[in-house]
Amino acid sequence: MDMDKLLSFDWGLMAPEFLILGTATILAVLDLFLPKKINRQVLGLFGLAGIVAAIVSLVFLLDNETGSILLETFRLDSFGKAFKLLLLTGAGLVMLLAIDYKPNEGMEEYRGEFFYLFLTALLGAMMMSSSGDLITLFIGLELLSISSYILAGIRKKNTASNESAMKYVINGGISTAITLFGMSYVFGMTGSTNLRQIAAALLNVDDSQQVYILGLAFLMIFVGLSFKLASAPFHMWAPDVYEGAPTPVTAFLSVVSKTAGFVILIRIMFTVFTALPVDGEYSQTFLFANQDYIGFLAGATMIIGNVIALRQRSIKRLFAYSSIAHAGYILVAFSAMSFVMFEAIWFYLLAYLFMNVGAFAIIQLLTMKEGTEDISHFAGLYRRSPLLAVAMAIFLLSLAGIPGTAGFIGKIQIFIGALMVSPAHYVLVSIMIATTVVSYFYYFGIMTQIFFRPAAHHEKIAIQPGTAVAIIVSAAATILFGIMPQLAYGFLESNFKAFLDFLA
Amino acid sequence: MSNIPVSAFLALALILFCIGLYGALTKRNTVIVLISIELMLNAVNINLVTFSKYGPAPSINGQVFALFAIAVAAAEAAVGLAILIALYRNRKTVNIDEMNQLKH
Amino acid sequence: MELLNLYQNNYLIVFVFLCLGVLLPVVALFFGKLLRPYKPLESKYTTYESGIEPFHDSRVQFNVRYYIFALMFVIFDVETVFLYPWAVAYEKLGIFALVEMLIFVVMLLIGLIYAWKKKVLKWI
Repeated sequence: MDMDKLLSFDWGLMAPEFLILGTATILAVLDLFLPKKINRQVLGLFGLAGIVAAIVSLVFLLDNETGSILLETFRLDSFGKAFKLLLLTGAGLVMLLAIDYKPNEGMEEYRGEFFYLFLTALLGAMMMSSSGDLITLFIGLELLSISSYILAGIRKKNTASNESAMKYVINGGISTAITLFGMSYVFGMTGSTNLRQIAAALLNVDDSQQVYILGLAFLMIFVGLSFKLASAPFHMWAPDVYEGAPTPVTAFLSVVSKTAGFVILIRIMFTVFTALPVDGEYSQTFLFANQDYIGFLAGATMIIGNVIALRQRSIKRLFAYSSIAHAGYILVAFSAMSFVMFEAIWFYLLAYLFMNVGAFAIIQLLTMKEGTEDISHFAGLYRRSPLLAVAMAIFLLSLAGIPGTAGFIGKIQIFIGALMVSPAHYVLVSIMIATTVVSYFYYFGIMTQIFFRPAAHHEKIAIQPGTAVAIIVSAAATILFGIMPQLAYGFLESNFKAFLDFLA
Repeated sequence: MSNIPVSAFLALALILFCIGLYGALTKRNTVIVLISIELMLNAVNINLVTFSKYGPAPSINGQVFALFAIAVAAAEAAVGLAILIALYRNRKTVNIDEMNQLKH
Repeated sequence: MELLNLYQNNYLIVFVFLCLGVLLPVVALFFGKLLRPYKPLESKYTTYESGIEPFHDSRVQFNVRYYIFALMFVIFDVETVFLYPWAVAYEKLGIFALVEMLIFVVMLLIGLIYAWKKKVLKWI
């Protein structure tokens, strides 16, 4: 391979990734050589600028034909573009929170790292969303995971932060190993790490023993990735990690990390396991034959997440369980596998991104102010700061799925998707409705605190500019996509053409 | 050496993986848990190298994958140990069952 | 088939050695117990029979700074894994791989600078 070949690649396809990588590298060097007295918030603004530049470059790439470089390991298709937009938007909003994050203890000398580790984690997630190879998928996943481990434990002197990072490393390590073991079987049966070549090779598999091993591989990959999604029964780490990690990191984990988890799940499952026939040619494909397992996981996740959330006192733990429940809703869309699945998942993740980041912005404001994470500190928020109270109400209503908000549209879309396939998933849909009703209790519990309980004191809450921007953008988007969802769907329709090039 | 059947290698990898999983789930000492996770990742490497040499469709990709897995495993172990040291400095313990501060 | 025989014969030798290895300590310990006199005294149970009082824990902890060097070593050691195959196939790969490797080494260098600035390389 010589210089001509090198220049013949269309490197422009990777422009967003290069921008993020460059920003992270420059930040790392800057942080080392800037004098101590310069406030490190500047670095956060620089990182934010990098993310915005990456979004702009991605928007310019939207019209590009589907293309791949580096021998098919990097593939820019509409799926990659759509989910990269989500990841970048989420990371940008989280960055705004991170700039304003001022913990009481334990992070003074690590401000710089705090910012660029977000960027490396984001880079991992972006690589995953447009990779066409098991190796790059795995590297992206690990880049995301390892950066998040450090982020969770970045408050070095805080025991809660240490503990949450340790739990995250152990759980993450085990799940990585399980996923990788499954991948090694997939590689072994097909002799290739390229997803499309794997799919082509699997079409010809008719040996029942090979199908059996691939079944094991499917199960292991699925279990490993369920850890990353924090779906029940592999959710035990999530509440502890969410509680101990700094608030912007919690927001990052619940939004960007979760989106990335679904990205890799869809990538692997839909390219590899739809190709594999269960027995002989022209029979059902493997993924469809195993829909029930995914459905079971979705049901369990919704029930466990919502029911345990009922008895939480810490607001961050409550949101951890709520995010588990939301992963369950998205898994319903995944297990239904209707032809609107991509749109449903994309829109739900979009809605979830805005409502969750908005809620975490307000949580960060309050917990930093009060020093504790108990729900009772939301009491009387309406008296202290009516605007914040209304914004929080919007996010909570959207999370609960009340008409007029983006969360409602997302849920409806998942319902319709699950009912329009045949056989329709009545059980899953009824579990989803029941658990949504259960979720009203805890979401409205917070609302009662905000609007009807007297405040302990009437100190005003000062809102920093970054957090304010994050809250305003999130609230506006939540309502906008709730009232006019056709904006988002029109955007999807005109730019991504129903994700037809995902498999082609 | 080629008389050893492929299944022997695969069985070895599977046994190593199970030992690692067992250790990771039962041991009290965090260092041993991290070592167990390494064991699981190395079981994967045995699998990959075996398949790349003797598998139904041999190809060099498996060895490349194994190299990447080794590098990533090292990074993960380093981060895990560093976090453990930070924890030890604050808590003076490396026992998993004493990490119970975060509970509802 | 002949190869297989040879192969199994090798294992036979290993087996013989295994048996010897197990047998020797068992026999030695057993006979020792049989032959030696047994007269316990309290002074015999102290750590040093010569009369020196033991003064601190027998387990010595290493300085934690060694550990940081060990971590650095693990990371940089493993990264050479990527350099080696590249060096072997350098003739075939050409300029493309060279540029890639340069990027890779620069990334590693930034890591080293990071460690340096954070005073990890200094023995305080």
